Amino acid sequence: MNELGRLELIRESLVAVVNEMRANVIRSSYSSIIYEGHDFSCGLVTADGRLIAQGEADNPIHIFAVPYSTAEIVKTFADDIHKGDIFLHNDPYTGGTHLNDILMLFPVFHDNKLAMFTATRCHWGDVGGMTPGSLSGRVKEIYQEGMRIEPTRICERGRMNDAFLNLLINNMRISHERRGDFNTMLGTSRKAAEQIERLFKRFGGTAFLDAVEELIARSEAVARQRIAMIPDGSYQAEGYLDSDGHNPEPLLGRLKLTVDGDKLIADFSGSSPQTSGPTNVGPAMALNAVATVVKSYLDPETPVNHGSFNPIEIINPPGSFLNATLPAPCGGMAECRAIMAALMVSALGQALPEKLVGDLKGGANHVYMSGPQTGIVGDNAGIFLLYEYPAGGTGATAAADGNHVVRAFPEGDFNVVQAAEIAEMQCPVRIEHYGLRKDSAGDGEFRGGCGMRRDIRILGDGASLSVLGDHAIIPPFGVAGAHSGAKNRFTVIRDGEVIQPSPVPGKVGGFPLRKGDIVRLESSGGGGYGDPLARDPLRVERDVHLGYLGKERAKERYGVVFDDHGAVDKTATQAKRERNHANRLTLPISLAKEDEIDGTRRRITLSQATAQILGVSNGDLIELCHLSGAAALRGWVHIEDTGGDALHLGPLGISALAAAPGDTVELRALNARAS
Amino acid sequence: MSQTRYLIGVDVGGTFTDLLAYDESERRLLSAKVPSLPGEQWRGVLEALKELEIPFDTIRAFVHGTTIATNALLQRRGAKTALVTTKGFRDVLEIGKGRRLTGGLFDAAWQRPEPLVPRDLRHEVSERIEHTGGVLVALDDTELDEVLTTLRKQQIEAVAVAFVNSYVNPANEKDAAATLRQHLDGIPITESAALIPERGEFERASTAVLNAYLTPVMSNYLAMLAKELSGQGITAPVNIMGSNGGAMTLEIAAQRCAGTFLSGPVGGVSGAVRVAGLAQCPDIITFDMGGTSTDVALVHDLTPRMSHDNQIDAYPLRMPQLDIHTIGAGGGSIIWLGPDRTLQIGPQSAGALPGPACYGRGGTEPTISDANLLLGRLDSERPLAGGLRLDKPAAEAAFKSIADELDTDDLVRLADGALAVAVAKMAGAVREVSVHRGFDPRDFVLIGFGGAGPMHSFLVAEELGMSKVLIPRFPGHLSALGQMMADLRRDLVKAWGGRLSQLKLADLKREADALREEGSALLTADGISLDRQRHEFTMDMRYSGQSFTLAITWSPDDTDFAPLRQAFDARHQETFGYADRSNDAEIVNIRLVSIGDVDKPVLEFKPGSSSDHLMRQRDVWFGGWKETNIFTRANLPLGFSFEGPAIVEEAGGTSIVPPGWTVTVDNSGELLCRHTEYYS
Repeated sequence: MNELGRLELIRESLVAVVNEMRANVIRSSYSSIIYEGHDFSCGLVTADGRLIAQGEADNPIHIFAVPYSTAEIVKTFADDIHKGDIFLHNDPYTGGTHLNDILMLFPVFHDNKLAMFTATRCHWGDVGGMTPGSLSGRVKEIYQEGMRIEPTRICERGRMNDAFLNLLINNMRISHERRGDFNTMLGTSRKAAEQIERLFKRFGGTAFLDAVEELIARSEAVARQRIAMIPDGSYQAEGYLDSDGHNPEPLLGRLKLTVDGDKLIADFSGSSPQTSGPTNVGPAMALNAVATVVKSYLDPETPVNHGSFNPIEIINPPGSFLNATLPAPCGGMAECRAIMAALMVSALGQALPEKLVGDLKGGANHVYMSGPQTGIVGDNAGIFLLYEYPAGGTGATAAADGNHVVRAFPEGDFNVVQAAEIAEMQCPVRIEHYGLRKDSAGDGEFRGGCGMRRDIRILGDGASLSVLGDHAIIPPFGVAGAHSGAKNRFTVIRDGEVIQPSPVPGKVGGFPLRKGDIVRLESSGGGGYGDPLARDPLRVERDVHLGYLGKERAKERYGVVFDDHGAVDKTATQAKRERNHANRLTLPISLAKEDEIDGTRRRITLSQATAQILGVSNGDLIELCHLSGAAALRGWVHIEDTGGDALHLGPLGISALAAAPGDTVELRALNARAS
Repeated sequence: MSQTRYLIGVDVGGTFTDLLAYDESERRLLSAKVPSLPGEQWRGVLEALKELEIPFDTIRAFVHGTTIATNALLQRRGAKTALVTTKGFRDVLEIGKGRRLTGGLFDAAWQRPEPLVPRDLRHEVSERIEHTGGVLVALDDTELDEVLTTLRKQQIEAVAVAFVNSYVNPANEKDAAATLRQHLDGIPITESAALIPERGEFERASTAVLNAYLTPVMSNYLAMLAKELSGQGITAPVNIMGSNGGAMTLEIAAQRCAGTFLSGPVGGVSGAVRVAGLAQCPDIITFDMGGTSTDVALVHDLTPRMSHDNQIDAYPLRMPQLDIHTIGAGGGSIIWLGPDRTLQIGPQSAGALPGPACYGRGGTEPTISDANLLLGRLDSERPLAGGLRLDKPAAEAAFKSIADELDTDDLVRLADGALAVAVAKMAGAVREVSVHRGFDPRDFVLIGFGGAGPMHSFLVAEELGMSKVLIPRFPGHLSALGQMMADLRRDLVKAWGGRLSQLKLADLKREADALREEGSALLTADGISLDRQRHEFTMDMRYSGQSFTLAITWSPDDTDFAPLRQAFDARHQETFGYADRSNDAEIVNIRLVSIGDVDKPVLEFKPGSSSDHLMRQRDVWFGGWKETNIFTRANLPLGFSFEGPAIVEEAGGTSIVPPGWTVTVDNSGELLCRHTEYYS
């Protein structure tokens, strides 16, 4: 074998195995979320649980967590892993994601020695628990989210543990579908293992495994080389999740990112304690989020393997909502991962401003509609389950507008809604509207993408709605002075009236629907990039012409005025822009000794006069924007006249704005924004 | 009037227009190759015809493979197109189901390609069909009138009409299209369900829009072609090769141009199927390698596999196509180093200009052709067809910077390593159409053709453990040959079915009969008599609860569902590793392929004599320098057999036979090659 092409040859073969696994899962699965939604991922890991390869369409949220699960299984079973064994795992506290994501690990041997695992993680449509679909914004402990599987040998030396499997599956809704999905994973793993054994034969098992190590080492070298190019230093970021679904308090996420030569240390200390709602994650997700952003910022082109993770150190003390322990529910893991990724975007963006990108709709936006199936007889009778997870607009970058309603860069490439023609055939619903949400994009020199609006009419009685989303109170941030995108909104229209299905926006647990109700899903727009007054007026004109942006808002946010023919009025626009600029409420920052935090909320003290100009009262949410900074900093208004006009911010807040004392920042009210 | 005697196949590629003519009275083939003229493909066709020097009134049939639709799409030169759709669904075309569809993982700067119809040209009308086919909301004529006024104002050039659930009841869609047709004189209207009556509003609308967008370009071209040909006195019927592997009349090609994206590559597959039939190899994988890309397809039992769920550029396409997988690796693909210092190939290509470094036209980056030259597989001593002499120092210079980076001065091993990576990529494409579809490539014969196919197919076969390679005659003209031999073909589909346990065979037969009558009528209208028509059914099937389907052949002579069910279980087991025999199975669609048989050439083989076939010898790298026989293909005698390493040269192709292979000239003149080790 010629050495010079060999490594690439082996990598090509590894990726081929993973792609083949994907094709197999999509085409033979039973859950619509898998075959339509593509909510699953495949990968290969070393015998000690390091990631070897994933496919182009695989979701890092699933796969970057596999090493944790694998390590746990290897620790549990140690020398007791044999040919014909198969392992299942979904426990978030030991490396899982959320309970719906079932991981199957299938060991592959070389010379009777454990050499690798194939990993298939599929989102099962239901894993038992309190509500259909298992994910709910209103759970209080993990037992309500379904069956939790610690590292478990489901098949021992070729002999399936049917008792365990039956117990598992019989405690899940629509159990025949679950069995089908299990079979799909089984068939996929077997075929992949055969392929790998063929590769061992072809390249020589030892040589092959050596090459895998070499590939990991090379990825690590690339990652270290790129990290070394970032200016050394510490970068702070701060952000919030809306709530835990019960308590009105927002959840505070903190990140201190240290660049030290060719390594990165991401420290999440100081984040809120774990909660009794679904917005918690286990230990696997911090590296997951950090590595995804590092990969995107520094080296998007080479295929992923564990080498990219090696230069990253995570500090994430147990007991916070970002590293939770039993019995904290973990259904909202995508939301938690999203905030960690957003913190990384912001912190690393301070070091690499040209890479900054606006925030997006938060995590997964899980929406479940479920109820009695009508008109179908046989074993599919019983309940229907319509699961969608609306994408929003993506964030803008320094060079381009965000995209409308599409999966974003840290996410695998899934379908987020069902075809209306399929949903209507399988569930008693009618899709009445599916389109772009006007005025939802975060305004900026480059704007975010628009979110979507989708109206689903419920045609039968007895159905219910569950939602687990975030950014329904605190919108996706803009960067470098841009505005945030519109918030997610989930409502029910009954007899023409808009009803809030939950006291807590974005977190709905089994809200009873009536026949004829319309469930309305409105997803966030992406955060913008840069000063909207610097946007090319012709781009604004185009957005208005295509209906992405209303004329009123074009005037208010962009200072663009149109003549009677709908063309930009240049003179009026220039004047309006000057006026808008002059009318901005800006204040200089002064350094306070400490960051003021009320519970979890950053307190921003304003004088009565300032509050009045801004139109806010005590407790209102506002943001501070710094044109040469990264993400907008959010806080809650505390009115108190302290004398002087300066804005007192502690060291963390100033650092998160990438500002220095004396810099001026713009203040914006967030609760009054149009949406 | 002279007697008609010529069948013509003409393939317009990116670089060359390639024409093959079969003389029925002399039983011989004539070929011509002229440069393609971008934007005026018909001119290249005429030039090539003229080069043949045959009387035009002796042409009896003419089939044309064209890249008009593909090029117009890639260059976004389609018509100003509008979409008329159900109220509430205006943005489906733009946002689809929220997928990126064009990569973008880890790439925050990824930009979604613009929809072919911008938002201001997408119009809604009130109407709604239920999933059962019932009319929930009748078509609102007043709204449609308003849309009509807007369309006129917008000066649109084509319209797609795509309504929700029109696949089950197209009444509203048909009515709307009829009104538009009546009032928008001469503007082509595409109806989604008439084009492709399948479930999935996004994919169906996307397909209809692709069709509408390209119809004006295609009809203009075809009208121009027809006019020019008849101006030259060619009265023979002209047919266009379709992506489904069959030919269609000009009229149909204009109406269904979204069915012509694979018009070119399909010719190669059809030609390969014909050759495989002659060589009695029913299971083949075609390997058509050109300068910038490689097309592969799997043919089982002399039937190419079909694919219904396709994507062209960024856009879903539901027209049935041969399942051809294309990768951006060809003879001109550029070799480069990745950030982790691994060798990478393509997709950038040196193209025709400047071309590979060894062409000496200013190319400085190393390509696959340069690698082949350094390995002695191409000859720098003798000029190529067209007089081009390859420049070895230029090829060496091109590899120098990579060699320096990798700290090696062994350019030959470097070239060999790069070639191995290219071969792995191409093998990946073969795996995609075989392993990913549940087939083992080792059960198939690899047919290598196209300009660079015969040079690389042996290496690809070795990579996959395939023991047989077949190099057809005229490897550089196989696409044109395939076009010449293409039957007329119509694909029909009916969304009909349910669970096997609840369906009645009589109902299925009634539906099937109706579909066959429809197919037969279409072929009759194309001028095919009943005795030359063939109709083949397949059922799209799945287990209850699944979504994806497998296509299972069905015979109307079956007396119950048992054979269908058994065939489905077996296919599922083979494809996915398990069968769910306790679960009910469902039919989702009935598909019919109606084929109109056309006259085909009888390919006679005139073998050479045994004395003049060995041209010379030279050293070629096969893991070490090996003295290698160079043969001239035209002179090889029937039944002649030789062992690799060997090189077979002919006009339009060079076969590189590595050690371990035995080559035999079979009865029809193909080179049938067996690997001595794998073959049993």
